[in-house]
Amino acid sequence: MAEVYPSLAQCAIVAGALKVLLFPAYKSTDFEVHRNWLAITHSLPIQEWYYEKTSEWTLDYPPFFAAFEWVMSQAAAYVDPAMLVVKNLGYDSWETIYFQRATVIFTELVLVYALSRFVKSALFASKQAAHVASLSILLSPGLFIIDHIHFQYNGFMYGILILSIVLAREQSKLLSAIVFAALLCFKHIYLYLSLAYFVYLLRAYCLDPKNVLRPRFWNIIKLGTCVVGIFAMAFGPFVQWGQILQLKDRLFPFSRGLCHAYWAPNIWAMYSFADRALIPLAPRLGLSVNSEALNSVTRGLVGDTSFAILPEISSQQTFLLTFLFQLVPLVKLWFQPDWDTFVGALTLCGYASFLFGWHVHEKAVLLIIIPFSLIALKDRRHFSAFRPLAVAGHVSLFPLLFTAAEFPLKTVYTVFWLILFLFVFDRVAPVPERPRIFVFDRLSLLYLTFAIPLIIYCSLLHQLIFGFERLQFLPLMFMSSYSALGVVGSWIGFMVVYFTA
Amino acid sequence: MGPPPPSHRPRKKRKTPTAPGSNNNLILDTGDGKQSPAFPLVSFLWAARAGVSQWLILPLTLMAVGLFRWAVSLWGYSGFEVPPMHGDFEAQRHWMEITTHLPIFKWYLYDLQYWGLDYPPLTAYHSWLLGKIGSAVDPAWFALDDSRGFEHPDLKIYMRATVVVSEYLIYVPAVVTFLRRYTRMHGVHAWSASIALVAILLQPATILIDHGHFQYNTVMLGLMVASLDAILAGRMLWACIFFVGALGFKQMALYYAPVMFAYLLGVCVFPRIRFLRLVNIALVTLAAFALLFAPLVFGAMSLEARKEFASVTQPPLLQSLPITLDKNSVAYAVLFQLTQTVHRIFPFARGLFEDKVANAWCAIHTFYKLHRFEASLLQRASLGATLASIIVPCGIIFRHPPRFASPSSLVLRFLGILLVHEKSVLLPLLPMTLSLAGDGGLNKENRAWVGWANVLGSWTMYPLLKREELRVPYIVMTLLWAYLMGLPPLSLETYRSRSSSEDPNSQFELNIFTKLLHIIFYALMIGWHVGEAFVPPPPGKPDLWVVLNALIGAGGFGIAYLWCMWKLVTQCCQSNRRASEEENKKKQQ
Repeated sequence: MAEVYPSLAQCAIVAGALKVLLFPAYKSTDFEVHRNWLAITHSLPIQEWYYEKTSEWTLDYPPFFAAFEWVMSQAAAYVDPAMLVVKNLGYDSWETIYFQRATVIFTELVLVYALSRFVKSALFASKQAAHVASLSILLSPGLFIIDHIHFQYNGFMYGILILSIVLAREQSKLLSAIVFAALLCFKHIYLYLSLAYFVYLLRAYCLDPKNVLRPRFWNIIKLGTCVVGIFAMAFGPFVQWGQILQLKDRLFPFSRGLCHAYWAPNIWAMYSFADRALIPLAPRLGLSVNSEALNSVTRGLVGDTSFAILPEISSQQTFLLTFLFQLVPLVKLWFQPDWDTFVGALTLCGYASFLFGWHVHEKAVLLIIIPFSLIALKDRRHFSAFRPLAVAGHVSLFPLLFTAAEFPLKTVYTVFWLILFLFVFDRVAPVPERPRIFVFDRLSLLYLTFAIPLIIYCSLLHQLIFGFERLQFLPLMFMSSYSALGVVGSWIGFMVVYFTA
Repeated sequence: MGPPPPSHRPRKKRKTPTAPGSNNNLILDTGDGKQSPAFPLVSFLWAARAGVSQWLILPLTLMAVGLFRWAVSLWGYSGFEVPPMHGDFEAQRHWMEITTHLPIFKWYLYDLQYWGLDYPPLTAYHSWLLGKIGSAVDPAWFALDDSRGFEHPDLKIYMRATVVVSEYLIYVPAVVTFLRRYTRMHGVHAWSASIALVAILLQPATILIDHGHFQYNTVMLGLMVASLDAILAGRMLWACIFFVGALGFKQMALYYAPVMFAYLLGVCVFPRIRFLRLVNIALVTLAAFALLFAPLVFGAMSLEARKEFASVTQPPLLQSLPITLDKNSVAYAVLFQLTQTVHRIFPFARGLFEDKVANAWCAIHTFYKLHRFEASLLQRASLGATLASIIVPCGIIFRHPPRFASPSSLVLRFLGILLVHEKSVLLPLLPMTLSLAGDGGLNKENRAWVGWANVLGSWTMYPLLKREELRVPYIVMTLLWAYLMGLPPLSLETYRSRSSSEDPNSQFELNIFTKLLHIIFYALMIGWHVGEAFVPPPPGKPDLWVVLNALIGAGGFGIAYLWCMWKLVTQCCQSNRRASEEENKKKQQ
């Protein structure tokens, strides 16, 4: 079989050129967050890292990420020492921007490496599909928008995640577990996926594949030592200093509201949409209206949303729901612990936490898209479940960038990616062994055709009709509900595919 | 009775497109039955080589190159935060301001010291339209006099967007249709045409000047390409109209005029004299010019305008006219308006060179100070030299109009202007780059030469771009293009011989002389960048690096000129030979 072109490296180079050109683009407060962390880790002793609060953007990532910032700050000292001063709030000299943006591009090489490992690990017959899938991840509009404009290090983080997933396929589950444990010490959002890892490693590594009741003790000891070792490396010193409770408060701030500032397209967005829709009907149905909440949602911007008619949701309830819906796919993983099922279970865990989680940010949609991309080309059934997610997930990221200059970038790039990869996926995905579900296909097509008029309305027409001030929340809510529909639809679709495969 | 005449004319036989890449050696055979792309740009379109619908490839291409344009436009522009005069950005904004607020007769008269309008009328109309739309969004952007030096992020976005929209409405469709026709005429495979399209639309120099520095060159270039397209289609009258449009947008298009003139005249004279065609062409051209100036002329007829004109000093051109007119008459007003416009558009009062730029004059100047001569003498010398340099290609084009095979390639091969302004390097680069789409346009030889000229072109702009903080886009766009085309400084693949005796493409291998020449120039450019970055110029010569840049650039363009001339002559001979062979065949039959 011939090489597939363009290669990952070629795409990385051209995409890198575009990303360098984006240096002066809009950057969110996350830029300042990371600059502040550079300053904290560089100028303070480790004991004070998690106590420093000069800036409101305190360090709230686990210790490995702090160490990563410390490593970068060593280089930053040569570029512009002023960015490493804790008191320099909002400092963004050209050198700082060049440096920080460059680190994002540079650390993304981990993703390139992980993807090339993924392509190598693919079976001969599906090599082309694997190559296409990894290109789609490398060029993902999600990473493009979040990392290279909005500013974060997701490319690096997801690179580690994919590396771990690929290692699990290459029969080195121990290494996979170590990498995943390290990833958790970088960014704890991946805890959402940890149940799938737990079940998979327990079933496929710790227990005998043929007999569940026969544990493999040597494996358990190896795995336990390694994972505990990693966590000890990360958190041990803080336990030693008696700071672990402080870390817990920083890493898990439960004081935030159910819905994030922008509405992530999940069940709760649909829930609040239903709540809004019920307000005019409330008097007729004889429902009591919580008048305080009326003003809260219409602001549509930052703030805790509360509900006017429907019952309030507590964080315990969301956790229960998340846990329950994560358990469902894990049952199958338990009985069929192979790599494909494992990635499917990871995806479904991502779905469950995104759809039912507490204070979910729309950026978390990558938690679903990226694992799903790895198996989306397994056959056409997988692909047809992936399609609405690809549209909804990326479109839902649009509100992250609200400045006019970035509008063409985010829309053109996303539309480019959608056209290119949905077309190529369509060609590459093999015919499934079981027939597809006809109705589902048509619905997803209908869903896709709605995307473009909706984007046009929300980004242009709405302002023309109502102006910039009036009914500001309306486009946001439309987008959010539309995207929520897509994500939920693709979730149900994938559940069906997963359990019937 | 003979057979009945066929009820329909048989369709004109098109040259059947060859197998993908066969005439452009885009695909390398690695020997073990595997194929690999010849340079990175081919890889990106590798999946399309079996033929994918243009409905897919074209939008994707346009979106991708559009992203790069918009990303470049995020960077600084000419004159940003440089009061009091700012730069080209402010000039264009100012023209939108005056055209939307002043009556038309004042356009070429209003406060000429502050960026007075000095582009032809089509630019003025274009500015008026954009100014009207922009004022609807935010009137503060173009408020008369108050908006001078206005710098707001929103205004920047609007102005940047107008460049992109203008380009996508004029330049891009023109290039796409031109390429389609051109490649079909040459029997070039659609895949190869798509590759050429990406290469053309990613030309670094054009992007950097229009979307970085800020200008609307692509509108003029687009009209020029439309004119070439009309020539290919055999619609000479449309060619005239589009060319007048290009000329009416930016006087820089005048450099193309001798070739266009020679070509159109040649069409009317060879192979037989067609007088009617000549008259038609002349009339249409005149009509187009009349249409172009009509709003200005009508604007000048009003009473108000006449009063205004009577009270201000006459343009020098009008003074030199032998006739005297009543200052209040309509004829005077019209004449005043026209002469004032022409005077503004062709400022012979300006110096020979505005800045240190890569042209022969500047090169000579370094060794032999030209200031000792009078300005008028220099102007004449410049005109003479320019004419001399284009007389040969014009002659060839005149003698060999479209008779055989590839008329357009003759026009395209044309390059020969002693540059007067650094941005005019875009003029010769456009046709040279378009030749990538021709038969064998992407073979090693043509790619190496065109790529070399393009890299050199954007390199000579570096001193300008550096002033405007466009270093990063310069580096990124130039290296990206070089990378995609497989050229130095990122790859020596093009210059590596891999010819075997049975390889049919070995004739396209570069000869040793070319290789040496190009490598030396690339080395010079890199060396210059290193020197410029790390070695401060000696105290007596603060412009050392800029002058060196100009010198190397002028040398390079001279060589590029000679190469284009050589290609023009050889192609001409080839087409002549082919034609005579065909004639012989006919005679034998």
